[in-house]
Amino acid sequence: MKFDQPKYLPGGDHFILVQFGDDASIDLNFMALGLTAALKEDATKGVVDTNPSYNSLIVEYESDDISYADLKIELARLISGLGSVEDLELESRLAYLPAMYLDPWTRDCVADYSEKIAPRDYDPDFVAEVNGFEDAKQLARIHSGTEHWVVAVCSTPGLPLMRALDPRCAITSPKYNPPRTWTTLGAIGVGGLSSSIYTTPGPGGYNLIGRTPVPLWDPQQRLPVFKDRVVLLDAADRVKFVPIGEEEFEYIEARVADGSYEFNITAYQRFSVGAYKKWVASLNQDGRF
Amino acid sequence: MTMPMIEVLKPGLETCVQDYPGRKGAFGMGFPPSGPVDHWSFRLANILVGNAPGDAALECQFIGPALKFKAPAVIALCGGDMAAKLGGAPVPLWQSIAAEAGQVLELGSALTGARTYLAIAGSIDTPPFLGSRSTFVLGDCGGLNGAPLEVGGEIPVGEGQGVPGRKIKQSCRPAVSENHRWQIEVCAGPNDDWIDAAGQQRFLKSEWKLSPKSNRVGFRLEGPEWTFTEKATNKAPENGSDPSNTIDHGYPIGAINLCGQTPIILLHDTLTLGGFINPFTVPSSAFWKLGQSRPGDIYDFELVSVDEAQARKRAINAMCSEDSIEQA
Repeated sequence: MKFDQPKYLPGGDHFILVQFGDDASIDLNFMALGLTAALKEDATKGVVDTNPSYNSLIVEYESDDISYADLKIELARLISGLGSVEDLELESRLAYLPAMYLDPWTRDCVADYSEKIAPRDYDPDFVAEVNGFEDAKQLARIHSGTEHWVVAVCSTPGLPLMRALDPRCAITSPKYNPPRTWTTLGAIGVGGLSSSIYTTPGPGGYNLIGRTPVPLWDPQQRLPVFKDRVVLLDAADRVKFVPIGEEEFEYIEARVADGSYEFNITAYQRFSVGAYKKWVASLNQDGRF
Repeated sequence: MTMPMIEVLKPGLETCVQDYPGRKGAFGMGFPPSGPVDHWSFRLANILVGNAPGDAALECQFIGPALKFKAPAVIALCGGDMAAKLGGAPVPLWQSIAAEAGQVLELGSALTGARTYLAIAGSIDTPPFLGSRSTFVLGDCGGLNGAPLEVGGEIPVGEGQGVPGRKIKQSCRPAVSENHRWQIEVCAGPNDDWIDAAGQQRFLKSEWKLSPKSNRVGFRLEGPEWTFTEKATNKAPENGSDPSNTIDHGYPIGAINLCGQTPIILLHDTLTLGGFINPFTVPSSAFWKLGQSRPGDIYDFELVSVDEAQARKRAINAMCSEDSIEQA
């Protein structure tokens, strides 16, 4: 539920959490990203950093430059300036990312977990079953049939948390318990309401359904797309997965390795929340692909 | 410009280049700030050798390194006592000293505290990444190739004008606990209303033991059970099933992050976001105590207001200045 007024919650001496509601309605993330953009535009004195999430935005501030009380007043002013969620227009790029669904590498990763930690079915079969899909192939069709909204970039460098923008492509699934101790780099996972791409080979809890051969961050800033940035995606960008086979996976992997891979990413466009919501309302949401 | 080098003979335990306040403004890309845990001692070490308080220096943890100076240097050690020796002779803490070319500085295990900071006049000149030289090991970035010191590594140092014989006044040094008990400030929130009144009192009145499963990502605490309000037990399913689960949200540095029944204080290399509640937050004024405590030490938490936490931070910041210096 969206709160009538956002809640302001202190986090020690230099953080404040602004919470717009208490569920995972995508409108609440749009508000958090609207406030992120407004803070940047306003260049509010004392604001050091922001980190958006599903229904909240955490703001880091320097208390020598702005008091907690004054920061709350500034945040309330900027939030009232946003208007209603339908009024929001967010700067957004669309990135086309190659994805091999049902790939051999994440299959091995699941099998390794199954052998060493806890027995489990092949993740895509499991996710297809809990969502009532025919099979893992339909899962791949549905997952690649929508643009995914980047809710936040977080946890590990460049890792996007994403939600399907097309409600007909929404997938929900329980996460691993206990979590994996390692994950194939570039693995595409689904868990809860979200999708993600593993940017480090570390632990994880999402169900693995595919793998991308392209990096989402590059501390050496080697590929052309990373010339002016370290991570590929920002919150409010969108991702469309382009299904590929193993041969093309290896081709792209080789082009990434030799530094010649060109990403396909659009320029910034204005994403109108109002237009998006109108489109969603026009859909027969019972349909699947 | 000359680039005096320091050669790493023994790396110590995860000795890393850090700067203060670290990598700011990068949460939205998935990077925590990194930087020294005890940033009070860290800044004093820099001030002693004439650097800016936040310049890049070394954080030595539990077991210090052995380093060989390839050029004359002015250095200072602050924080825990690792029985440092320079050319075989004991080196005082809280004081700038001269090292000659070819001399070896050897640090041992921490006799008091847990972290010792080594600043070198001219400061460490590794390439900055996203505006900071702080090492972030999990992110493979900052410091020397994104990693702790390694045997044979060379640490580049800028040109500096250090003066030996400068000392930090006794009253301006952080006092490392001798009985392994620490009173740690906490502020309520952001999610204190998920814990019932009895649970909050239990947290504030109980002893908490620092677990050996602690590092720069987080400090695990061992203590009594947590009890919850209805907010935690009767919530929308997307929050997750455990009372401590919530919809993913950004984490404050210093948050007491409750994972099931295990509280973890989130330090400077933490995950930036996740799905557990943060009932309390350790403010920056208490971080020097975290930096100097070791597994098995006992924490007593002291509830302070946000205003009080900010006042204590200002008091520490005021001591991280030239006013804290006396000549030996």
